[in-house]
This record gives sequence, C-alpha cells and structure tokens, in this order.
Amino acid sequence: MSQAFLRIHQLDKQFGQDQILKGINLELTKGQTLSLIGASGSGKTTLLKIVAGLESADQGKIYLRENRIDVLAPQQRKIIYLYQDALLFPHLSAFDNIAFGLKLQKAKHIPAQVNAMLEKLGMQDQGHKMPDQLSGGQKQRIAFGRALVIKPQLLLLDEPFGALDPEIRSHMQKLFKNLVSSQNLTAIFVTHDLKEAIIIGDNIAKIEQGNLIQYDSKSAFYQDEKSGVEDEILFWKHLKNETNED
Amino acid sequence: MISKVLKYSFVLAVVFPIVFLLGLSLAQQWQFPEILPQEWTFQHWGNSLFKQGDILESLFLSLGLSLTLASLVSVLAFFMSKYIAYSKYRQQYMRLTLVPYILSPVVLAVTFQYYFTVANLSGNFIGVLIAQLFFALPFGIVIFNNFWNAHLKSIEQLSFTLGASAWQSLLKVILPLSKPAIVLCFFQSFLVSWFEYGLTQFIGLGKVKTLTVMVFNFINEANVFYAALACVMLILPPILLLYLNKRILILAR
Repeated sequence: MSQAFLRIHQLDKQFGQDQILKGINLELTKGQTLSLIGASGSGKTTLLKIVAGLESADQGKIYLRENRIDVLAPQQRKIIYLYQDALLFPHLSAFDNIAFGLKLQKAKHIPAQVNAMLEKLGMQDQGHKMPDQLSGGQKQRIAFGRALVIKPQLLLLDEPFGALDPEIRSHMQKLFKNLVSSQNLTAIFVTHDLKEAIIIGDNIAKIEQGNLIQYDSKSAFYQDEKSGVEDEILFWKHLKNETNED
Repeated sequence: MISKVLKYSFVLAVVFPIVFLLGLSLAQQWQFPEILPQEWTFQHWGNSLFKQGDILESLFLSLGLSLTLASLVSVLAFFMSKYIAYSKYRQQYMRLTLVPYILSPVVLAVTFQYYFTVANLSGNFIGVLIAQLFFALPFGIVIFNNFWNAHLKSIEQLSFTLGASAWQSLLKVILPLSKPAIVLCFFQSFLVSWFEYGLTQFIGLGKVKTLTVMVFNFINEANVFYAALACVMLILPPILLLYLNKRILILAR
C-alpha cells in the first residue's frame, strides 16, 4: 500500500441518468497542492463535496492517512471546503468568523490565535468589521483565516478566487501559496483558469467526462497535447508579436 | 405631498377607529348627530375588568390560545419547511400547503367537526388550538419557504466542515440568521389566531369564548358599548406585537 496522505479509490457518482464521476482514483502526498481543472459540469465540485462529506458517493472509498473517512460525518473529517463565495457568517464579525471553529473545539488562547491569523492575513485592523463592511477580497481572506486557524487535515477550494478582479486575484494566489506552505497544508484547488492552476498547484489533475487524469508531474501535464498549455503559449506569443508590430 | 397623504391615510385608517372605539367604550350615551358622547363613564370598563370579568377572561383565553398557536406554528413550520425545501417533492408539498387557502376555515371546520366530536375535542381549548393549527401551520410553512435556499444550505454545510454538529449549527448559525423569519411567522400566526372567528365558533361550540367571539356576541346583542370595549382590547395586543416585531427586526439588522 502506498504512503499517500489522501487516497481516493474507484469513486462513482451518478445524478439521475448522468454518470458524473466514473471510477475516480487519486493520490496526494502530505503538503502537496493539487490543481484540479475541467469544464463546467465535469464533476469537480461533486468530487470535492464527496471528499468533504457533503455529498455521498455511490461507490468507492476515501482514505486520509490510511484511515477510511467516507464513512465519517463532515464534522469528523477535519476537511474544510471553501466555496467561490466566501460565505462568512453574516451575523458574526470578522474576528468571530475566524474564531468560530476554535470555539467549537474549545481551544485555548482563542483571541491570541485569531489576532495572529488576522495579522498573517494583513487584516489586523479589520477584526471588528461585519462581513457586509468588507470587500470581496477581504471576505475571502477572512474565509481563508477561518479555515486555516483550525489546522485542517485537508483543504478543498472550489474556485475561491473566481469572483475576484485580476489584481486582488493575483494577491490572493500569493497569499494562499504562502499560508499553505507555511502550515504544510495539503490542498485540492479547483479552477477554470489554466494559468492559476499552474501557479497554485504542485501537481495537476484534470476531469474529463467523469474520468480523472492525474499527471505524474507538471512537466507531464505540459507535454500532454490536450492540456491546453500549448494553446495558451501560442496565444501569448501571438499577443506579444502583435504588440511588437504596433 | 404623497408623504402627507400617506400620513393622513394612516390616521384615518388606524388612529381614528381606535379613538372612536375607545370613546364608545367610555360612553354612557352617544346619539347621532353628537360628535362626542353626551355622557362619559368608566362603568363598562369597571364591570368588564373587575365585576363580571368575562371580557378579561376572554382576553387571557385569547392571549393563551394565540401565543400557544404562534409558538407551535413557529417551531413546527421552521423544521417542516426545512424538510420540504430540501425535499425532491418540494413542489407537491407546497401545493398541499395551499389547501387551507382554497378551502375556507369554516369549510375545513365542517369537514373535521365529526372527527373532533368523536375525539372529544369539540367545545374545548385543545380542540380549537388543533383546528387553528390546521389552518395556520401551512401559512407558517409558506412564510419560511423562501428562507431555506441554496445559499443557506452552503452556510450550514460550511459550519459542519468547521466542526459544528447539527445542533451547534442550528444554535450558532441557522437560528441567528432565521430570527427575522421566525419573528414574522410568530407575528402572522398570532394574528391569524387572534382574529379567527368561524373556525373557533364552530369547533369551540360557543364554549371557547375568545375575544373575537365576544365581540361578535356583543354585536349580535346590539350591545355597542361593550362591543367597543372588547374591540379596544382586541386591537391592543396586535399593536404591541407590531411594535415589538419592528423593534426586533431592526435589532436583527
């Protein structure tokens, strides 16, 4: 048996007549971030929700640290699922949103932990604010903080930067990379954006018509003709040439 | 201009009837075309509150009935509407909730009366409460219907992944968010019960004398002064509730 941190084995999911996931196999090592790409409706979100315990699979097994977790309730898995929408609790301040999970765990030194997280997020002065007083990027940062402060075993991110404008998006990508590497977190990062997938992921996987293709390395992904990388490079070359001609 | 018209409309529609009824309840004699009563008296109030006490008794009975019903509907409708909202048979369930709107309360009462008599529920408080529940519960479910949506489901699921149990999620996330809907449901169900006449009279067999029933009795007896007094008492609790409702909703925001 391999030493994978997360192992998904032969996972199937069907909605009505549609087979969304077909015999999905996936392995992730500790501290690795996997970028998961695929067209809309290809089953990326469903896969994440099954791993988080928010949907049930028709068949298949999920192991975390070689312990089977697909039989556990979501609150027992220590897996955080982050949505595209930050989904802050609207009745709680930014500080209380971050403290939410810690309070449930009855953790010690909660104010100190929350303040340290706010500082890491660059939001030390914003803790008292209510969610409707924060910008989209700030909300997403608080959502990150809320997830990271409880030290989850696995982080699942479903296009978390999809709704942000390019500048904030780029800032959030860097922040995410820093936070994940400093805490040695394992994550699956779903995105539509090929560039973002390459920046964020240590490795890349693709879902196509319900089948998952996991690449051995990033270079294996680049070499795949169907990866879309070639098209992306051609586009940028073309753009550069046009700019030079102008 | 519109603001002024609305202000005067409010005075005409709400304040004037209350002042008129209060005046009538304090009148010994008030004959057309006099603008104010010819004789004033506290006798009707004294009799109702201290001597006979029947109106006061009705007031407490009505309060007990309406508050119990509003509490029951708020709790039951909250959980039932959640089940319905996330059920694949949502549309069918919601169609069922329309039945009490299609059939009037009195028609429902006629339909159920036999069963209420057999179950010894006619002519008593519990029977009237259950009968009103048939009518008010679907109403409560309709109020909560739009509250349960995909966004709220995502928030609830997120709280689970952060480690909250179903109970903790309910207490710390869902209930604080649902406060305005619960207040609205409580308020509306209270009003449904408070002003209900036909169903209460039919199932209560005239023995469950709520304040609304009393008003109709006084009107039938042409006892306008006591009818006015009962009306004043009938109006006051909803006004108080409306004020509290507004305060709570503003605080919730």
